[in-house]
Amino acid sequence: MSDRLKTTFCGIEFKNPIITASGTFGYGLEYARHIDISRLGGISVKGISLHEVPGNPMPRIMETTSGMLNAIGLQNVGVDRFLKEKLPALRKHDTKIIVNFWGKTLEEYIEVAKILDDADVDMLEMNISCPNIKEGGIAFGTDPDMTLRVTSEVKNVLKNKPLMVKLSPNVTNIRVFAKACEEGGADAISAINTLLGMAINIHTKKPYISNVTGGLSGPAIKPVAVRMVHETFNTVKIPIMGIGGISTWEDIVEFSLVGASAMQVGTANFVDPQIPLDIIDGLDNYLANNKLSNLSDLTGTVDLNK
Amino acid sequence: MLGKIIRNQKLNDKYYLLEIKCEEFVREAKVGQFIMINTRHHDYTSDPLLRRPLGIANIDGDKFTLVYMVVGKGTRLLSEWQKGSDISFSAPLGNTFTPVKEQRTALLAGGIGIAPIFWLAKTLKEAGCIVDLYYGGRTADDVVLIEELKEITDHLIVTTNDGSAGIKGMVTEPFIDNIESYDTVYACGPKPMLRAVSEIAVKNELPVEVSLDERMACGLGACLGCIIYVKEGDEVVQKRCCVEGPVFDGSKVVWDTVCK
Repeated sequence: MSDRLKTTFCGIEFKNPIITASGTFGYGLEYARHIDISRLGGISVKGISLHEVPGNPMPRIMETTSGMLNAIGLQNVGVDRFLKEKLPALRKHDTKIIVNFWGKTLEEYIEVAKILDDADVDMLEMNISCPNIKEGGIAFGTDPDMTLRVTSEVKNVLKNKPLMVKLSPNVTNIRVFAKACEEGGADAISAINTLLGMAINIHTKKPYISNVTGGLSGPAIKPVAVRMVHETFNTVKIPIMGIGGISTWEDIVEFSLVGASAMQVGTANFVDPQIPLDIIDGLDNYLANNKLSNLSDLTGTVDLNK
Repeated sequence: MLGKIIRNQKLNDKYYLLEIKCEEFVREAKVGQFIMINTRHHDYTSDPLLRRPLGIANIDGDKFTLVYMVVGKGTRLLSEWQKGSDISFSAPLGNTFTPVKEQRTALLAGGIGIAPIFWLAKTLKEAGCIVDLYYGGRTADDVVLIEELKEITDHLIVTTNDGSAGIKGMVTEPFIDNIESYDTVYACGPKPMLRAVSEIAVKNELPVEVSLDERMACGLGACLGCIIYVKEGDEVVQKRCCVEGPVFDGSKVVWDTVCK
């Protein structure tokens, strides 16, 4: 693979800008049987917390038009087991590891961040935006003062690893939150998390998901994500990792035009684990055909002239 | 993986049989496993988004067979696929049945649950077992492939809720009548049926394996959307239906969490 795809993000060199999104790629190893995960630019692992979390009752997922709702409930093995049982095997693959993490309280955010700062991982992604449990950071992600506070306090304890903050789309004005992250010292922003949604079985008159509401993901949310990345790019100087319904190399170019420097592929991994690799190949061809030396040539170059 | 459609045959108004040629898949597949299959025959749409989980009903040479019921948009699209097309799907997924040898076995299938039971019946028969199949449906439309099943079973007992085929009533009724004839029980079908079968088996101290079906996004163990709660000693633990399942020890499943 060529240098065209090399992407420097927060000082880390990714072999390409395609990262698999947290919550859609397990701890990476689940996919190793199906694809060569070392071809990926990076992997953002399932959100890790201080203690193991069992997740929500079933049913947890429902397919909707060009998308899906989920309310898994941030189920994870906890930071200790992650470091002992998952990370060593994942590290054997030549790809960057981003650890998505969250806490129920400010103290938990800080505690997990400290542990991960000393671990053999490349970057941290702080989730302040999971809509599926009330302690899942959403309180931090929907109040700008709290966003600023959790970002600056976590940033203060980090000595080694860059901090990326994952924003919630379930706010009126994402610019305010992007600004709060930047002021708090975040090294990057990832956007967006899932959109809060709901689906009802008209025969039983009950919600399809036991949590009643769930996070909507997939191609259905891509236009919302493109708009929010565009607004974020116009608000802050720190780099942005674009997320939301990305399924093709064309989607990567679109997110690049509105200002994302790297991208995460999420729900598409469920559709077919081959998709992120197809995207990498498609993007490389696109850059070659258009004589672009790197995807960064396109970052934020959307033409808004009428 | 990619395979060529050999036939996509309508069995009746609800059921279809899909036969696909793929040597690589057949080489890996084991009895009880399932597949995530793409249903969209155009790449210009993203709806339905997710692949569909279907039990593997048979393998024959370099071909494998799926039996499916048209229930929604995905399976309706699947029914429109033409012979000769290349269709994409996952590798064989999940765990397997534990086939016994030279035992007296009772197999119970409800509706579309016949898919993995078909291959299991054939496997057990080849292993010298006595294979009795209790096959239930709501109506005559829900019981398919009767002639083929007769060839791979010792006794085929069909039941329907309305009596339009076989014995009128629940599939568990004739099974209970003959329960003393068996060493091992296997079942696939609606969850309340699997619960009933498991409870009957446990009461009669018979080993029972059930193949469960849960809503799945990935089928690969990543989405955590298909959790089944299972007893392990004194603890209740979570298992992913797609990786640690779909086959579970029916005596260990926490049925109150599965049948809601």
